[in-house]
Amino acid sequence: MTPSLYRQALEHAIGSPHQIASRKVALERFFTHGLPTTRDEDWKYTALDFLERAELHAPQHAAEDWAGEDYPGTVLKFGNGRMTDVFTQSIHAHSLADRADTPLVVRTLGLLADTLPGGAALAEINSALWQDGLLLHLPAGWKASPLFVVHSASEADAMLHVRNLIVLEAGAEAVLVEHYRGTPELAYWHNGVTEIVLGEGARLIHLKLTEESAAATHTGLTLVEQARDSRYHALSVNVGGRVVRHDIRVNLIERGAECQLDGLFIADARRHIDQHLHVDHAAPHTTSRQTWRGIAAGRGRGIFDARVVVQPGALKADAQQSSRNLLLSPHAEIDVKPQLEIHADDVKCGHGATVGQLDEAEIFYLRSRGIDADAARALLLRGFAGEALGLLDRTGLADWLEPHLAAAMPVLNKERSA
Amino acid sequence: MLEIRNLHVAIGDKPILAGIDLDVKAGEVHAIMGPNGSGKSTLAQVLAGREGYTVTAGSVRYLGQDLLALEPEQRARAGVFLAFQYPLEIPGVANVQLLRTALNSTRLARGEPELDAMDFLDAVKSKLALLGMDESFLYRAVNEGFSGGEKKRNEILQMAVLEPRLAILDETDSGLDIDALKTVAQGVNALKHPERAVILVTHYQRLLNYIVPDQVHVLAGGRIVRSGDARLALELEERGYGWLIPESGPLAEARP
Repeated sequence: MTPSLYRQALEHAIGSPHQIASRKVALERFFTHGLPTTRDEDWKYTALDFLERAELHAPQHAAEDWAGEDYPGTVLKFGNGRMTDVFTQSIHAHSLADRADTPLVVRTLGLLADTLPGGAALAEINSALWQDGLLLHLPAGWKASPLFVVHSASEADAMLHVRNLIVLEAGAEAVLVEHYRGTPELAYWHNGVTEIVLGEGARLIHLKLTEESAAATHTGLTLVEQARDSRYHALSVNVGGRVVRHDIRVNLIERGAECQLDGLFIADARRHIDQHLHVDHAAPHTTSRQTWRGIAAGRGRGIFDARVVVQPGALKADAQQSSRNLLLSPHAEIDVKPQLEIHADDVKCGHGATVGQLDEAEIFYLRSRGIDADAARALLLRGFAGEALGLLDRTGLADWLEPHLAAAMPVLNKERSA
Repeated sequence: MLEIRNLHVAIGDKPILAGIDLDVKAGEVHAIMGPNGSGKSTLAQVLAGREGYTVTAGSVRYLGQDLLALEPEQRARAGVFLAFQYPLEIPGVANVQLLRTALNSTRLARGEPELDAMDFLDAVKSKLALLGMDESFLYRAVNEGFSGGEKKRNEILQMAVLEPRLAILDETDSGLDIDALKTVAQGVNALKHPERAVILVTHYQRLLNYIVPDQVHVLAGGRIVRSGDARLALELEERGYGWLIPESGPLAEARP
């Protein structure tokens, strides 16, 4: 990707002259940083040099119709970067591009993304080139029914910079599902930035399903800022794509804020999935939980890097991490890096991380009940994955997600002969 | 039903069973007793098909088939059931899921249709009632966070659902209080049938007050050193095992 290709893409960007000017500033900032390289500590496992060599372009075509999937809620569909259809009207969910001039968006967009510490090059490209995405703004006390936002790609070699902005005012509650998908085997790049601002006592349940095509690149950054007593509960299910990088950064800036970041990844075939969590406890009585489960098979590679920082003065902070991982083939790899950085006294923090294999004793136990070895392995694998999916029980989303999970589970008998 | 002839089993180079002969006929209850390390659990595991044991000599025939040639799941589908001494915890897999998958695997292997969720639930509820277990048991992850007694009762629940021809209970009585022991015994007694047989592997005579065996065998040093009727168990309770153990002393029991 030469600078001229990015500049060409900028010509397709929308916005007022002022916004176009700030897009140009963001792009120039990106040029000074360049794409992250494996020399950056945060990127040491994930090389993006293939993007440097690729020739990608802003999407030229409207999305093709895709076979309709039933989403149990309000649906917003984005195809090749632009909103294509609103199946159920919601008074609070909109195309961000359509609302780019509203005071709320002008005031809020970029507040979290533009103030990231250095090296946030992907966010800079996104700020320069974003095409569209979700704007969800819930006024104080409103409760929204489950909202599904589908980002679908059907154009080869397109770079799709998705931008979402979610603002929940005090006491508002929402359930948001982001679903990233694409035409099978198609090569494209989804680069998403989602900014989430939660007011006092607001609650957001956020499921992100990354089910990109097997040749796609997905980079995603979720940024969350939480006011007093707010609750953010996220579940990331990373089961698609060729190269996937997902960052979640949560800032607990006021007392009583709680976040739970759960995740499941399945890295099979040659899939590479790199996940980075960063939780900042910046106020007393803040709570964070992480339950992450990973499965790597074939020549898959998974990375789970989770950092929790307890700032001075964040008394009674409570942070727990759990990361368990299964390697199903000798050529698969999982790297786990849990980190606790504690600068305050009187806190409760702990973490546990394991990388192992399916337990032969458990397999025997199931076989001794008449279940054949492959079915026993599949049952154990599904059970293992299920440990990260507690969120689903409370949302009614389990039935919707189940077929996606079933399709993503590695086929074990092939695995053994590999 | 079960004919064990001159069975020798080793773990690696280490012999554990040194020539077991045992005949169990349909309708019978056999107790296998013996001190720790005598090879009782090894015998139970070998019958269920656990890997890691080497059969160095001898044979086991079950309902006319060569039992040792069958995979563990084939043995289970043919009606062999082992209640584990240490039941495994399987996080994320609900009890009901295990029970239904197991029962339907067995039914399919027998050429019977699978039970759907509703029919299965009806079938399993009567078994729960038999064992005094609450329905909520079905929806908990298999043995996860169960007390010792709950785990053992859960084994008996699995047995009751699968209705085996040959049930082998490996120290199912250990760690049970008297009420749990009675419940477990009730579950086993309810399964008794002229076409079924039970092998109770136990260290203590206590369970045999509630499930009366037709024969009692004492295993020591990898061999059956004495067989008798239920009175033998009472004698052991009084005298211990010392008088039966050969001079060479017991071989240590080991697990793979």
